[in-house]
Amino acid sequence: MANRPQIRTAASALIAMIADEDTVVGFLLAGVGNVDLRRKTNYLIVDSKTTIKQIEDAFKEFTSREDIAIVLISQYVANRIRFLVDSHNKPIPAILEIPSKDHPYDPAQDSVLSRVKNLVSVESVASDRR
Amino acid sequence: MMEDQEEKGNAENGIGRQKQVKDEYLLQFLDSLDGYLTLLDSLSSTLSQGWLELASARHAMGASRINGALLDLKVHAAATSLKVSEQDVDSMESQPCFTLCKWASSDNGERSSGEEKSLSPQLRHRNNSQLSEEKVSTRTGTPLILVDQQQRQKSLSVFGVLVSPKLRSAQLSFERALETLVEIANLHTTMLSMFEQVHKELENTNG
Repeated sequence: MANRPQIRTAASALIAMIADEDTVVGFLLAGVGNVDLRRKTNYLIVDSKTTIKQIEDAFKEFTSREDIAIVLISQYVANRIRFLVDSHNKPIPAILEIPSKDHPYDPAQDSVLSRVKNLVSVESVASDRR
Repeated sequence: MMEDQEEKGNAENGIGRQKQVKDEYLLQFLDSLDGYLTLLDSLSSTLSQGWLELASARHAMGASRINGALLDLKVHAAATSLKVSEQDVDSMESQPCFTLCKWASSDNGERSSGEEKSLSPQLRHRNNSQLSEEKVSTRTGTPLILVDQQQRQKSLSVFGVLVSPKLRSAQLSFERALETLVEIANLHTTMLSMFEQVHKELENTNG
């Protein structure tokens, strides 16, 4: 019990979003938008002018904030900062890759599924049976 | 001779129990993986519906009335948030459990209870002159919690007083998408936790 990792519990945590305009607007309609006293929002709208650095900075900020429990990121945006997304291994915030209007969800590119695929791949099962 | 046979029996029982535990972890991992993929598929459908409804609302109301520039940048708290609690996996490990709290009404910055959902709801409607309420019950029998319709309307009012019915439909679609996402988040943590367990067991077997 002494070495049990601590889970950060919260009564009221936020959902952050890094996605295209329509996805962000939609989720803001559902009430997840938050603007704090420093005028910091819990979302970043990604368009053609958004740089990789801006996306990286937003991802790093959202994953380091104590009040954010889930980060939603469009999969095509996650692909642009794949190294950063794959290197996140904390349970909170949970990083969920979601489809976007123009880019459907591809399980092969999902960070979590890539991590676990070796356990269920045909090759690994076949090699154990030899 | 008898002692040797007894020791051999105990060893076999121990191996059998170990195998049972490994199989259990593997089954839980595969179940959560299956649930994860199924829910992602469902999420894609729900989001597609939401985007279509948003596009219809934009067509009806005009592109200038529904865009990112209108988003409320005044200081405000999220009306829909998450409750994060700790769930025991075993004596050595725990994992986070997410529960969605929808439309919690905030009064003078203090939060009061909103609608909590971690499973699919069944809705009943009741007439009320000031607040229209939705009573929600879950399959696990958690207590009924009121939803503040005014918060929902406030969220829509960013785009004007009179909004297209399609915008209201889009709001409901994205609310459903949020519920699915919270379920996905819970399966996501379970899947990773079970993956670690199975991986550990495999390493112990091979090592």
